[in-house]
Amino acid sequence: MANQKPGKDNFTRNIVIAVVVGVLLIMLVPTLLSKQTDTSAKVPASVSADRGYGIVFNEELTGVPVIEIYEDFQCPVCAQFEQLQGDYIESLITAKKATVVYHTLSFLGPESVNAANAAACSADEGKFLGYHRALYANQPAENTGVWSNDVLGILGQAAGITSKSFTSCVNNMDYQGWVSNAAAAGAKANVNSTPTVFINGKEINRQNEYFNADKFKAAVERG
Amino acid sequence: MRKYLPWVGLVARLILGGTLIVAGYLKFDELDKSQMAVRAYELLPIPLANFMGIFLPFFELAIGILLVLGASTRIAAFLSGLLMFAFIMGISQAWARGLSIDCGCFGGGGQVAPGEADYVTPLLRDTGLTLLAIYLTLYPHTKIGLDKKPKTATELGEGNNG
Repeated sequence: MANQKPGKDNFTRNIVIAVVVGVLLIMLVPTLLSKQTDTSAKVPASVSADRGYGIVFNEELTGVPVIEIYEDFQCPVCAQFEQLQGDYIESLITAKKATVVYHTLSFLGPESVNAANAAACSADEGKFLGYHRALYANQPAENTGVWSNDVLGILGQAAGITSKSFTSCVNNMDYQGWVSNAAAAGAKANVNSTPTVFINGKEINRQNEYFNADKFKAAVERG
Repeated sequence: MRKYLPWVGLVARLILGGTLIVAGYLKFDELDKSQMAVRAYELLPIPLANFMGIFLPFFELAIGILLVLGASTRIAAFLSGLLMFAFIMGISQAWARGLSIDCGCFGGGGQVAPGEADYVTPLLRDTGLTLLAIYLTLYPHTKIGLDKKPKTATELGEGNNG
């Protein structure tokens, strides 16, 4: 009822509109910019910008299937996938039978960012696969505050990482820029859920090939 | 009856605006997911979908706040009507094409397991919200808002507040 007086102009209203629209625009622009790839961000060992900032194993091989795995360390289905297919994928890496690219997305929340950063630190120590396994084996419920950088640093011991450089890399979020680049690359690759697996650039069948050991193996061998 | 209509308008403004604010706010914190939700509709080219995933939460917040405050009610209601219509189109085409996605209306989104997608609830909700938006576009003069009331009650129907 406050604005019924005839003749009162809309000054207050216009100010309010300008402030609401202005503030949101001012917030929108840096947000959009932050989603751009930052090519100057520090990149962990064995990461290839050409491969969507993924952590690559057996990059040098030719004529073998290329398996690309998009995952979020907090995603429970990714943990199931790791449990079922993790050993097989690692055996392909050791036997040099496939090029494997791990894309660590972080859309589930800040603890996913922490975990992806810590995983990048473990790659520098040459212990990515072990740490990857340790993360999934100790996966807490999403965003419950369990995966602080302190905990993620200690978790390194489960993968045999004891160096000080790892702990400081985890605590300083050395690879935060890289985590965001990897997320942007996942967005460009049209990855809409995790885990998502591409073999030679094509997504495998979501109906039956992810969680069936035989069918997954067949999909890899088909290439 | 006519004198109760501005109160109806107030309720419509609060429901429509409140829903938009909640929807925008919940996506605001998880923009990666919001981008994922838009991409999963497979409607827009990927770069545009990624842009919309970031833009939409801000847009929803802006028109939601304006509606709740009752500032430029007609324009905000018209824009939210267009938005709801676009959502209805997007969800319908996803349903018709047999995609398995979460609508991502209030955060979340992306692909879901086949058979788990729920398209009826968001369609009903968005249809209701579209009706509110149409009502407010036609009758933007409501109780307790920043928009100035026209000088006499008989001037209803013209939204020019100048």
